[in-house]
Amino acid sequence: MTLLHRSSRRYLTRHPWLMGLSVLGVAIGVAVVVAIDLANTSASRAFELSAETVTGAATHQVVGAGGTLDDDVYRRLRAAGLRPSAPVVEGYGSLQQGDRTFQVVGIAPLADAPFRPYLGTGAGSDLDLGQFMTDDAALMSARTAEDLGLASGDTLRVGVEGTTQPVVLSGLIAPQNERTRRAVANLLVVDVSTAQRLFDQSGQLSRIDLLAPSDASAQEAYLARVREALPDGAQLQRSDTRTETVAQMTKAFDLNLTALSLLALIVGAFLIYNTMTFSVVQRRALIGQLRALGVTRGEVFRLVLGEAAVLGGVGSVFGLLLGIVLASGLVQLLAQTINDLYFVVEVSELSISTWTLAKGALLGMGTTLAAALPPAQEATAASVSTVLRRSTRESTLRRRAPGWAGLGLLVAGAGSLLLLGTEQSIWAGYGALFCVLVGTAFMIPWAVVGLSNGVRPLLGRVAGVIGRMAARGVVTNLSRTGVAIAALTIAIASTVGVGVMIDSFRGTVTSWLEQSLQADVYVQPPSLVFRRSTATIDSAVARRLRDVKGVEGAYSVRRVTVQANVGRTDLVAVEPGPETADVYQLKAGTPESAWPAVRAGPSVLVSEPYSYRYDVGVGDTLRLQTDRGQQPFAVKGVYYDYGSDLGVTLMSRSTYEQFYDDRGVSGLAFAAADTTSVDALIADMRASVAGLQDVLIRSNRALRETSMRVFDRTFTITTVLRLLAIAVAFIGVLTALMALALERRREMGVLRATGMTPPQVGGYLTLQSSLMGAIAGILSLPLGYVLAYVLVFVINKRSFGWTLQLTVPGDVLVQSLVLAVVAAFLAGLYPTWRMARSSPALALQDE
Amino acid sequence: MPDAPSPLVQLDALTKTYREGEQDRTVLQEISLRLNRGDFSVLMGRSGAGKSTLLNLISGIDQPTSGRVQIGDTDLTGKSETARTRFRRSHVGFVFQSFNLISTLTVGENVRLPLELAGAAPRANRERGQAMLDRVGLADRADQFPDRLSGGEQQRVAVARALAHEPLLVLADEPTGNLDYDTGQAVLTLLSDLVTDTDTTLLVATHDPEVLPRADRVLHLHGGTLHEEVPEYIRSETRSAADER
Repeated sequence: MTLLHRSSRRYLTRHPWLMGLSVLGVAIGVAVVVAIDLANTSASRAFELSAETVTGAATHQVVGAGGTLDDDVYRRLRAAGLRPSAPVVEGYGSLQQGDRTFQVVGIAPLADAPFRPYLGTGAGSDLDLGQFMTDDAALMSARTAEDLGLASGDTLRVGVEGTTQPVVLSGLIAPQNERTRRAVANLLVVDVSTAQRLFDQSGQLSRIDLLAPSDASAQEAYLARVREALPDGAQLQRSDTRTETVAQMTKAFDLNLTALSLLALIVGAFLIYNTMTFSVVQRRALIGQLRALGVTRGEVFRLVLGEAAVLGGVGSVFGLLLGIVLASGLVQLLAQTINDLYFVVEVSELSISTWTLAKGALLGMGTTLAAALPPAQEATAASVSTVLRRSTRESTLRRRAPGWAGLGLLVAGAGSLLLLGTEQSIWAGYGALFCVLVGTAFMIPWAVVGLSNGVRPLLGRVAGVIGRMAARGVVTNLSRTGVAIAALTIAIASTVGVGVMIDSFRGTVTSWLEQSLQADVYVQPPSLVFRRSTATIDSAVARRLRDVKGVEGAYSVRRVTVQANVGRTDLVAVEPGPETADVYQLKAGTPESAWPAVRAGPSVLVSEPYSYRYDVGVGDTLRLQTDRGQQPFAVKGVYYDYGSDLGVTLMSRSTYEQFYDDRGVSGLAFAAADTTSVDALIADMRASVAGLQDVLIRSNRALRETSMRVFDRTFTITTVLRLLAIAVAFIGVLTALMALALERRREMGVLRATGMTPPQVGGYLTLQSSLMGAIAGILSLPLGYVLAYVLVFVINKRSFGWTLQLTVPGDVLVQSLVLAVVAAFLAGLYPTWRMARSSPALALQDE
Repeated sequence: MPDAPSPLVQLDALTKTYREGEQDRTVLQEISLRLNRGDFSVLMGRSGAGKSTLLNLISGIDQPTSGRVQIGDTDLTGKSETARTRFRRSHVGFVFQSFNLISTLTVGENVRLPLELAGAAPRANRERGQAMLDRVGLADRADQFPDRLSGGEQQRVAVARALAHEPLLVLADEPTGNLDYDTGQAVLTLLSDLVTDTDTTLLVATHDPEVLPRADRVLHLHGGTLHEEVPEYIRSETRSAADER
């Protein structure tokens, strides 16, 4: 180690708090990015793994138009000699033991062996096939059974869509490898007939798995034979289509989380910049001495970057560890959100991918080095003689502040152009946001000078000379205060931006729910996915509910997933009533033309996200796969809908029954007679279906509350990320103030020597840090508003296709201002305390 | 008659102008100077006269607005910043008023730093560093950090550091400015002994009239120009200082 490196190492170890805070800043930034990435990867990996496991060796599958397939199709394929082929019935159920969600897969054991050999259901297996196929028996992973304290012969109580049924655990699956062990952890394997009974799908299959030859021409011939054997409505597709579709579903959601996680890293970069600048500023004299002794600019540059690399390296390592810990908490939150919004996924363990860790470390190191570049440049660019004069740099910076502000304006302008120049790219949206953030950061020193000079007379009147000094101090130490204020401004502005976006979203959803929930009582089976329940209400239950005294009107809704020419489509069939036109507010098309067409025949409405996602609008034709083959449906309107970002296609119940054989009902809405109280009606309804399928019977208000609870739950991760960004910014301000305090020890010594008491010094510094907070708070409001605008009208629109009403609640703004001042005040406490109690003699002695 | 030895330091028509706001301020005006090898010269002048600026130009820390600086065979004026730095690390030693020891290096490491920068072998470095510390009487303090030393001791370390790499030229900027009389004298004695022993050229910028009797030449910087006579105010200061003692 050379003497220069030794000197550098000693500098770092002599300032452990500075080093510690910098490492913490990098660590938190890296941890957030890694945690979100790990949580995302784990959730999608869990889904992929279970999908791959259930798919097994199948290359293709036959699926039905409305999600199910008559089991007669399977017999036709077998009769045509298309083997191996295997019928599958699948869905999700909850197991009372352990309160866990399982993927229930119904198979035909003998036909299944070529597809899923690890289940051990082939002819040569130990399994009692007779019992498995005739009794209601199930297999589960040996490890899972052990975790739940279950053994062969135990009775399991499986709950599906509100109905609980017993099955006997007849065998345990002991996979050969770890991958399969993880994949089958949440699998419950039953016979096809048992699954049909559990899911109330008598005579219906979810799909038929096929194993096509690998040779291209043989495969083509095989697939042609399959197509020939298929009736209308049945469709042949590649087995991996489903995993791809699911990945598409959550793409925008994942991207937004990743972008938010990067915010913490951006704020972290400010922290590094702060630290490295401070380490240069504080050692300006030392660097000058080294330069006078013959150390070249390149050597100084490498030295500063080397220090940054050490901080970045240590911070990244801690960040990775912290990220893994954070991810194990976040992954459950994320899984909950995915379950609420998209599909069922049970994430039992974190998949730690090397790529994610490498990415995190690279990002941490890269950000640190990039943030250290300007201070390293600063240390070397100045000539030796000016390096020895600190005030030169501050005055240069003040002089250059308007120029920087102009540059900032250009960068922000470039961001705006990026928005105008692109229409759909989410990355361009975030790129523009980044430009606005960076552009504003450039403008902050100039704004700080203006605001500090502006409030100086006022502070002078309120706090006398101390007030004037406090305001002046912010300007004369601009290289330190400017960066700290910039970091805090960006963190607070993000809070304002995201807060206003969530509030706007919430407000829009609340008024949409008020508009769309006009019935008095809603009934639906319990579902594992809140927003996309396709569960079916038992027909007996529906009949009884309609007959309850006090019910004046009843409207059904059916939700299924079908294939359309544009992709997988959630289809809703409704019974249009007199108030339907009020419930579905049209964005495009008119109620006068749309509803009569929808009532009359093959016409549909599409929701706003669907229209955006698939670029479908009024006048277009959608081709849906039905039980009568692929059929054209005219799009007559686009309606506002905030229930699903995947989008929905709506048709009348009569049209649905014309094209689909399914007669199920997913939900019922009831109007109460004027003379009946809603609470009494709900009590009567519950009594009427007691002992039958367990359905959720809720009042309009309760359903609205539940919806808003789920809404808030889906934003929990966002809130966590915002808090972490603020934590990093807080550390940034603390570092800056600590640095400033240390740097101004001599000045404080002089003030003490000239008669300033410790409380006065404390008051002076506290006033200064609070002023910095107030400036950050004030600057963050317009920036926050711009961020909110971009998030609401660009990012949200491009990610999900929703139109939201931007509302700026006063309390968010006041809270942000208070948060900024309090954060800066708290960050200033420790340095102030240290300065106030330090000995003036020592400070004056210091060179 | 033998040829006059070629000068070690040669300054030709050296001018340095600073831009202050809208105006130019000329600190040094057309200065020419020759310093021979082994010369002990003193540069005097009031505060702000440009003494430090001149030292910065001679060492290559700063660039002149016009004119030429030549040390030995090297013309510094046309050289890049890096080349001047490399020249300085090999051929120039510095002693500052405020010692300017590197606080994060020990005393021994401070002395070895110019040797290491000049690319000397580590073992030779250690031996030379130790010898220099021995020479200034601080061999037993090699492992201590500078803040444990008194002002005089720190300046002795600075002297050892300035001479460790056997420079052609030592520049001292107010070397006694932060020291009491006795300590200052001791440091001056040490410095002049060392440069005499090694035949090194020494230029001391100072206010201190006590330095004058030791010098071969006294230069006076006034109004941006260099004069080679001692003004009356310095002579009288020197006399009164001697009387006080």
